[in-house]
Amino acid sequence: MNSMIKTIFKIPLYLLFAILIFSIMTFVMLLISEYLFLEPYFAFHIPNNSEFGFILILILSGLASVVIPMNIYRIRVLSIGKQKISGGITGSFIGIISGACSCGPIGFAVISTFGSLGATATAFLTNFEIPIRIVSILILAITFFTTLKSLKVECRLDS
Amino acid sequence: MKKKGIIGIISGLIILGIILSVSLSSDSQSMNFEPRLYGQISTEMGSSIVGNLDAPVTIIEFGDYQCHQCYNWFHNTKPKIFQDYVDSGKVNFIFVDMAFLGRHSSIASQASYCAEDQNQYWQYHNTLYNLQESKIDGGWANSERLKAFAFSLGLDMTLFEDCLDSGKYQKRVTFNTSEGRQNGVSGTPTFFIISENQQEKIVGAQPFSVFKMVLDEMI
Repeated sequence: MNSMIKTIFKIPLYLLFAILIFSIMTFVMLLISEYLFLEPYFAFHIPNNSEFGFILILILSGLASVVIPMNIYRIRVLSIGKQKISGGITGSFIGIISGACSCGPIGFAVISTFGSLGATATAFLTNFEIPIRIVSILILAITFFTTLKSLKVECRLDS
Repeated sequence: MKKKGIIGIISGLIILGIILSVSLSSDSQSMNFEPRLYGQISTEMGSSIVGNLDAPVTIIEFGDYQCHQCYNWFHNTKPKIFQDYVDSGKVNFIFVDMAFLGRHSSIASQASYCAEDQNQYWQYHNTLYNLQESKIDGGWANSERLKAFAFSLGLDMTLFEDCLDSGKYQKRVTFNTSEGRQNGVSGTPTFFIISENQQEKIVGAQPFSVFKMVLDEMI
């Protein structure tokens, strides 16, 4: 397991890609979940009772930053199909939108555009923010292990 | 014949004008408040002012009782602002409803004004933010629960129920929400911090440090 990860992330391009994914995802999720503010001043804070949500954001970003480059490696180096990358992208996307609080500008825009249907959808995302994030972490974890397993098999076949 | 037709149209228009002006004036009578403008924001339909009426700075919060970021701000930031700025008379505070999150948002705001009829607006406001549950439209702010909150505060239940069931303050809440939209509020909580010469907008449940920087600059 370690050797496969080392092989991929020894390549600077994949390491850079992982760092980029982690930074961008963490930044976006902290922003839409209102842990981070840019105006009128830059501010970061973790409100009481929101610590768990913050930890989930870090786990989600960390997993996505490993899973997505691994799948890109699979596609580019081993010329394998694109099925498994969808797990990584789906997991990351679900994780990101679950934090888009319906009280924030994204939720407001959805509610203003789609009316009660939008309100129901954003309420669902807000009400189940933590369970949805856990599900997206599970999706990413499953994608991680299946990718790892198939990489081992594919690399063996390739060599 | 032609003349009669023209006269008929003109008199019809006059009657229509009279009907419209009467209906508009009855609307404004049902929401008869002294104008209270801060910058471009009309707050007379919002809460009463907390703190020193002559304070140099006013904080206007646009909030929804079902918004969990408003809950976060209420519990994490508001107490420190009140302790350092409102209680010392430097700042006063107004809450204006921005009831958009769900179908129980508006009725919760209406209930706060029914409590105001019995001089318990702020007690009721605090109760809503203290007892807020995480699920939007999950039932914690339905009519029955709102009445139960009123009962727990010792309000006259006949008056409160009549007020809430009649939708007495529906227009007031709608007015406040549209006032928020007109002033560019696109999420809750949104704050306008206004002094004589300056105005700053803060979006989201930002920490005390941000409010402190803005307020210290204005006072």
